[in-house]
Amino acid sequence: MGIELNRRRFLSVTASVAGLAATGGLLSACGGGAQQKTGANSDALRSALPSYVPSTSIKPDIASVAGGPDVLTDPGFLTYPSNPVTTVSGVPGKGGKYTTVTPLWGTIPPADNSFYQAMNEALGVTLEMKPADGNNYATIIPTMTAAKRLPDWIQLPSWWNANFNVGELAGSQLADLTPYLSGDKVKKYPNLAAIPTGAWQAGAWGDKIYGIPSFSSGFVISGGTSFRRDVLEARGISSDQVKSAADLMNLGKELTDAKAGVWAFDDVWTYLFPAWGVPLKWTVKDDKLVHKYDMPELLDALEWHYQLATAGYVHPDALAGNNADGNVRFYSGKVLIAGGGSGGWNASDHQSGTAANPNFRRDSFDFFTADGKGEPRIEVGSSARILSYLNSNLKPEQIEELLAVADYLAAPYGSAEYTLINFGIEGVHHTMANGVPTATEEGKKNVQPQTFPFLASPPSVISNPGSDVVTKDYTAWQAANVKHLKKPVFWNMNISLPRSMATADAAQAVEDAIKDCYHGKKKVSEVKEAINTWKSSGGGDKLVQWTDENVLQKYGTGQ
Amino acid sequence: MSSVDTEPPARKNKLTLRARLRRDRSLLLMTVPAVALLLVFNYVPLFGLLTAFQDYNPLVGVWNSEWVGFDQFTTLFGDSLFWGSLTNTLYLSFVQLILFFPIPIALALLLNSVLSERLRNLIQSIAYLPHFFSWVLAITIFQQMFGGAGLVNQFLRSKDMSTWDVMTDPDTFVLLITSQAIWKEAGWSIIVFLAALAAINTDLYESSAVDGAGRWRRLWHITLPGMMGVIMLMLVLRLGNALTVGFEQFLIQREAVGHEAADVLDTFSFYYGIATNNYSYGAAAGLFKSVISLLLIWSANKLAHAFGEDGLYRS
Repeated sequence: MGIELNRRRFLSVTASVAGLAATGGLLSACGGGAQQKTGANSDALRSALPSYVPSTSIKPDIASVAGGPDVLTDPGFLTYPSNPVTTVSGVPGKGGKYTTVTPLWGTIPPADNSFYQAMNEALGVTLEMKPADGNNYATIIPTMTAAKRLPDWIQLPSWWNANFNVGELAGSQLADLTPYLSGDKVKKYPNLAAIPTGAWQAGAWGDKIYGIPSFSSGFVISGGTSFRRDVLEARGISSDQVKSAADLMNLGKELTDAKAGVWAFDDVWTYLFPAWGVPLKWTVKDDKLVHKYDMPELLDALEWHYQLATAGYVHPDALAGNNADGNVRFYSGKVLIAGGGSGGWNASDHQSGTAANPNFRRDSFDFFTADGKGEPRIEVGSSARILSYLNSNLKPEQIEELLAVADYLAAPYGSAEYTLINFGIEGVHHTMANGVPTATEEGKKNVQPQTFPFLASPPSVISNPGSDVVTKDYTAWQAANVKHLKKPVFWNMNISLPRSMATADAAQAVEDAIKDCYHGKKKVSEVKEAINTWKSSGGGDKLVQWTDENVLQKYGTGQ
Repeated sequence: MSSVDTEPPARKNKLTLRARLRRDRSLLLMTVPAVALLLVFNYVPLFGLLTAFQDYNPLVGVWNSEWVGFDQFTTLFGDSLFWGSLTNTLYLSFVQLILFFPIPIALALLLNSVLSERLRNLIQSIAYLPHFFSWVLAITIFQQMFGGAGLVNQFLRSKDMSTWDVMTDPDTFVLLITSQAIWKEAGWSIIVFLAALAAINTDLYESSAVDGAGRWRRLWHITLPGMMGVIMLMLVLRLGNALTVGFEQFLIQREAVGHEAADVLDTFSFYYGIATNNYSYGAAAGLFKSVISLLLIWSANKLAHAFGEDGLYRS
């Protein structure tokens, strides 16, 4: 690191791509890293990734449903498992002392509180927990990396990989975990072995494993199109009547009653555009990489959304860009159909909704194609987006100690360890009320779900104690739609772009134009102009060419 | 002031620096906190301007980032979005100058003519109040009142009249922005003009009234000349800040009217610099803005001197 890291050097070296796809045993594509010479072969990452040994210690109430390769629904739990089983024997730590930094979106708990103490005792190490404000996290970390003063254990959310330049940090400041976890070595840590391979790949750079995944899932999508099931059912409308974009538009006409202050739609673009066959970012046609901006399907999707906005079916506050109150509009019935992030369909959403209207029930439309023909294709995101890393200055025995701690933290949902990590000690931080761990005042103050689970956690489950209807609806929707989920081009591959391409990749001007278009303020032709500018003077064509040459042609699609 | 002016200049120069320092030491001591604040928050950050000539990479820091000379500026001047936001900034500034600037003066004159002190204080407090609201709150209030689903439009709808969503209309955005600024800031801006009014010698009014001057004549010949110094000062400051029309107000409403209507230089730096990790580009846009602002304030000050007014300082 240092002065020699100029732009030209980046261009020549940073084809740092890690990728692999397990397609029914057929493995393909992977990459060379920033610290490596180019062209590491696919065998290297294939052998590096940990084996997958699913946990069988706790049976869910609603089992996972498998979709295509590497795609499956999250298991559902209607009740919290009684008599929690213990999955880790003994104390994982050997008395080491470590610092950790994780982002936290909420109130930072007091340092060295009763919960931290209980956790340290159970873990057999002293973890000095330093949660940092999540909203400023992207600006805090670069100062640490610039000074080469990372803590022993740090969480770096993958959506900020470019900000943190994780591809560059991997190997220089972050520890290579391959010697400890690759292949069957991971079986030493059974709970880590129960994390699916795809999630480990999301934390791989070059041909090596760096990241420890949290909240991994086989059903990672940005979201769907939610609707007020209670309101629509009361009007005799069922969701299976919506089979195409035209059906949805008609529903807009039927449901909008501006005089009564009710509009059919909130913003839906973010989760609805795949219905037109638009990929997340890339697709491959005739062995050539194509950016979604170059696809006519994108313009078709925009045209429909433009019409939706200008027809007056979208709530004016949504058109005015007021997203913060989107949920309030949905709860209060001022909008009836809204794009919904998959993280938002949970017990607290249900509680807020039923507080506004006791009949509140969220549901989501099954995926459809815009013209109502053919198979919908919904591209899945990275299998894990919360990844923690160990400092490369740690000695091998320290890394082993922390991996044993991570194994404890990754104990499955409902286990004794999970209960301690997420709810604290019974009688101190929580009490069991109707079989559900319920936080005490001490628990509310100190036990935060964004502390220890942000270092390592088991694969995601759907559980909403006290709101069974949510768990049932959500698991049923996932099961009905899992068949449409497909892996995108460059699935789980970490690509670190040269700095000079970052602006073209963010394409702020095009994204702004798209937003203006689905808010009804800009015609599709104007978006097309913005795209043309992006292609020529905005570096768009260069970006496509670079990615085609350095990623697609060298490492394949990763699908 | 006048005692300083009447001192012969020769004597002033005879004092050594040391003697002058000793003479003014208590005054100098009193300015230390303010100077320290300026140094820490206004001068030290100037160091960051270096990044405008680099391809700044936060990971390696300012010293190790690659120097690119004027590359960022070349790109900047070829960027139509940049020129768009510059045009927007100047246009908004011009409209605000015409529509906003005279209002606090008029308000101050009106308020000054209210005789009941109680009533005057009440009006003043009500007019000040919005200044203490954040932009988020101010815009939310506007949205609730005039938005597509706001009070006014829902009323029009209930009467089967056509509606107008002024909050999302890019064509009238400049009027919306200005009226928001007037509602929020006009009351606060009258303070300085009220102070100027209070400084006018009341004897002048009395004697001119005795001479038979009416209300308008007194306004024209006494009040306005009395306020001229302050008006000029405010005008110079306003022109110097012509490229600073606000940030949050535009940031919040950018989505509502679209980026083409709402992007000003500050939001440009933010969206196309900071938000896309292109820090150097944002710094270049910021530096450009500062240089132009400096030129503006310098020429406005010159202009004030040409009219025989003080401007920022006495020439």
